[in-house]
Amino acid sequence: MSTLTARFAPLRARSNAYFAQHRSLGVLVAVITIGVALPLISRIPPFGDLQSMNAWVNAFTIAGIYALLAVGLNVVIGFAGLLDLGYAAFFALGGYTYAIVASPFFDIHLPFWPMLIVGALIGAMFGIFLGAPTLRLRGDYLAIVTLGFGEIVPIVLLNADPFTGGTNGLGGVDKPVIPGILEFTLINPWPFYVLMMVMIALVMTVVFRLQDSRIGRAWDAVREDELAAESSGVNTVISKLQAFAVGAAIAGFVGVFNAAKLTIVAPDQFKFVVSISAVAAVVLGGMGNPVGVAVGAFVIYLVQSIFLKQLNTLVDNFNIPVLQEIDFLEFQYVLYGIVLVLMMLKRPQGIFPAKRRIRIFKDTVGGAK
Amino acid sequence: MATATGTVRTERVRGQFFLPAVITGFLALMLGLLGFEQFLNAMTLGAIYALIALGYTMVYGIIELINFAHGDVFMVATFVSIAVSTTLLGQTGAVLDIPTLIISLIVLFTVTIVVMALVGALIERLAYRPLRNAPKLAPLITAIGVSFILQNIIQFFVGPYITNVPQLFSTQWAFTIGESRVPLLNLFVIGSALFLMVVLQLFISRTKTGRAMRTTAMDRDASSLMGVDINRTIMITFLIGSGLAGAAGVIHGLYYGNTTFTLGFQSGLKAFTAAVLGGIGNTAGAALGGFLIAFVEVGAAAFGFGRWGGAIVFSLLVVFLIFRPTGLLGSSTGDRA
Amino acid sequence: MKVFNKKGFAALAAAALLAAACGGSTTEGKTLTIGISLPLSGSSLASAGPARDGALLAIKETTIEGYTLATKILDHAVDGVHNPAQAATDVTTLVGDETVVAVVGPFNSSSAKAQIPVSSEAGLAQCSPSNTNPDLTKGDAGAALRGGRPVNYVRVAATDDLQGPAVAVYAKSRGKSNVFIVDSTDTYGKGIADSFAAEFTAGGGTVLGREGAPAGTTDFTAIVTAAKALSPDAFFYGGVTADGAGLFRKAIEQAGLGDVEFYGGDGIQDGSGEGSYIAIAGAAAAKSFSSVAAIENIPDKAGFAAKYEAEYGEAPGAYSASGYACAQVILEAIKTAVAAGEVTRESVRAALTDTATVYSTVLGDVSFDENGDTSQKIISLYEVVDGNWTFVEQIDYANK
Repeated sequence: MSTLTARFAPLRARSNAYFAQHRSLGVLVAVITIGVALPLISRIPPFGDLQSMNAWVNAFTIAGIYALLAVGLNVVIGFAGLLDLGYAAFFALGGYTYAIVASPFFDIHLPFWPMLIVGALIGAMFGIFLGAPTLRLRGDYLAIVTLGFGEIVPIVLLNADPFTGGTNGLGGVDKPVIPGILEFTLINPWPFYVLMMVMIALVMTVVFRLQDSRIGRAWDAVREDELAAESSGVNTVISKLQAFAVGAAIAGFVGVFNAAKLTIVAPDQFKFVVSISAVAAVVLGGMGNPVGVAVGAFVIYLVQSIFLKQLNTLVDNFNIPVLQEIDFLEFQYVLYGIVLVLMMLKRPQGIFPAKRRIRIFKDTVGGAK
Repeated sequence: MATATGTVRTERVRGQFFLPAVITGFLALMLGLLGFEQFLNAMTLGAIYALIALGYTMVYGIIELINFAHGDVFMVATFVSIAVSTTLLGQTGAVLDIPTLIISLIVLFTVTIVVMALVGALIERLAYRPLRNAPKLAPLITAIGVSFILQNIIQFFVGPYITNVPQLFSTQWAFTIGESRVPLLNLFVIGSALFLMVVLQLFISRTKTGRAMRTTAMDRDASSLMGVDINRTIMITFLIGSGLAGAAGVIHGLYYGNTTFTLGFQSGLKAFTAAVLGGIGNTAGAALGGFLIAFVEVGAAAFGFGRWGGAIVFSLLVVFLIFRPTGLLGSSTGDRA
Repeated sequence: MKVFNKKGFAALAAAALLAAACGGSTTEGKTLTIGISLPLSGSSLASAGPARDGALLAIKETTIEGYTLATKILDHAVDGVHNPAQAATDVTTLVGDETVVAVVGPFNSSSAKAQIPVSSEAGLAQCSPSNTNPDLTKGDAGAALRGGRPVNYVRVAATDDLQGPAVAVYAKSRGKSNVFIVDSTDTYGKGIADSFAAEFTAGGGTVLGREGAPAGTTDFTAIVTAAKALSPDAFFYGGVTADGAGLFRKAIEQAGLGDVEFYGGDGIQDGSGEGSYIAIAGAAAAKSFSSVAAIENIPDKAGFAAKYEAEYGEAPGAYSASGYACAQVILEAIKTAVAAGEVTRESVRAALTDTATVYSTVLGDVSFDENGDTSQKIISLYEVVDGNWTFVEQIDYANK
């Protein structure tokens, strides 16, 4: 890898410089490249053997959901430095918002597209609702309040049967439709995949723009030294609230997509495990680096849901008799745990740590212009 | 832990009379509200939560880590206690001979506590110490990883089932006060938990090691300069915290008579909540928080709101922290941001 | 990070292009895959594992001329518990595999709710060995779940709208009139408790109290103490053993109420092996009654047990025969499709759900109605005698 990096260093420097000036364009190019490359990769033997291309495309779409969750949570944890252990709650609220108005349960069928925005707004609303009274809490007290919120939401969804379908959840949720052009189906994973890529491009652009904005700089300040930030005139409460709202909005936004993709929302889908996996993705990917956390989440999902689940198939391919006797499914979580520990010990900053220095340098260049 | 000694004299004087009065009042209220049997249920459950919460709070107090694996250490302890009871002591059910019972219980507690203390220290050495100077959230993730590993080791060796734990202390021994049935087992559980908590408080406040723990929690660098061996102190904290989880595991087994590999998650979450409610870092607060949560849960079930139990506990937590942001006994100056 | 050197990377890229270029032309159509989608790790394994093994046994015993039978097993347990979202993902994976013509599974009703919309849209035949929630198939709820499309999902278990009432009728026949109900708050537990309560009160019985204890509850003492004050003459538990049935029973006994009878559905009838209700409750399991939404006296019980044991070295579990039967009806449908000419998902689905077909299965003769529900509407009732579930009687609802 190192020789390769060296060889392409000048090229990378030039492209970095270019895309640093045109970040939105960079996001677009990157998402299109990745969007085209992923399905191709799924045809390569070790991947192709596991499942068909359609199944891979579907898996990538769902991995995209987790990637976006991580990007959203990264705004809270990585940018503003607030630990949120109940992020799944906002994800749930977005999903239920859509499911309630687009399923046979109340027999209301509002269109998908505007609901994406409504879901995001509902998420933001609850983010502010939870954040306003609690953001004066420091450090881990905030974490536990969010954890509590994350526990409360599924219990309320479970017990508020008349509105949420209780334990059964809301099924038969409408899939997106582009009137006259395209009806999304569960059989053809491509429309959902393309939509996911568009959403990733959108969220990434917003997040990058926020990061570079006054708000983003305020987050940096609050994260690095709250006291100093406050004395320099940053309204830390507002700043934190903004991070909370943006993070929650992204979760709500993705929640709507998730409901339409799975065609069902149920309390079980939004348990603590989801929140904690998102935190793991953020830390593992590299706190503060939106691309890093997205990749982290993507990889964690694929490892957990594809590779570990299909370890047996994978090992069978090697034709080693001793290994074929073992049921690897039994070890999947031990392996997952070991992977988490080792990755963290090897790279405590995450796999793709945020490059704050480069950013600061770039900002001064931009300022001089 | 910082407030155990108290820094402000007036607060200390107020605390001496104020806190016991509040606790007594609360207990009397609960007794009246729930009736004696439910009161006893809550006290017993609270004793278990409190013992686990102590481990969370001590570790947090000293290295500011939410040790997500702690609940699983408790879970592993329940399985170690099975092994000790059946393999070492050869008991599978109630021991009716009193001297044998006493010896068995002493062996059971001692061996399990020692084993779990070592397990806890080992986890600290392998998964947390290398990350002492890493970003704050890095050890949180290894803690989650360790939690996965512990659960699955148990699942692999014991199986994914609910497993019975020998109830050495007979569940049938009971006497009646008025209408109420009072099982001796509940009294034993509450008594042994309180005993361990008192021992812990004495250890922390009276011994040299306890002082080292307190100073390290207050200011690690300063303590280091004053000659405190930080790594050793942290290691001891883990030994004690995990040992207490070991005791909680034994008690859980004796009281409920069963365990499973997923036990640690829920109990851990509740105990962690208790630690925060009590003012994280404060040992007395953690114990109080444990009892408080148990009372809320038992109260909910007693009045037919068991479905909402979890929501009530966490709502209480959220509301409570809004009005008292550092928990029951947390120090107002304990700025750990 | 040094996994790929430059050469490796180039090879990988070339392989990617090559694979993409010839993708799609490798399918020969000779392999017929039967997907198995069950929760197969953690605490779910104890009950769903035997169903998988039963299905695998039936598939192993069968050959279809001119085709290779394959299986694809996907585990949708996450953290050891069945997970509807993962179940939906898995069925999408199976749909994406062109060789998959039918699926055995899922195991839990909540997973079925997530899977049926996907499989029905793909027209992929599915047979569940154990789903009992009525809303999966019947009425408006069932139609909504499959989006108004033709039935693609069948099940060999009878539904909870028969099972719950059967237990209620039985409890009343034993002279019980005041019951305290606890359910596990999930699709199955709450559903069966509801149908039990409805039938129990319909005939003059009283439900003294109803409480919910989500899976993972370990402390039942407060619930039992609250119930004790009401002096019930029976308890009903809606839920499965892994949710806490055995713990509940143990807590009841520990509170001195061991003589009060305990009723439950098929969720607690899981034999007497490790982790079973009987094993967990121990001596407290006496005076417990349960139902199973299936026939007890399968035609060749000893024969099935013998060949199952020969294959796996252990006795069949509660759902082994059901898993075996599911594979049987699917294989039969494939054979019908082969005989008719072409094996496609649609031809297998059509053959499977043909209401005229009578399948000869290990459970006996079975056919499926217009909703995909089994014609075998037998509820068997059991009592714990000497630490084993002992068959008491079976109620046949086929003509009721």
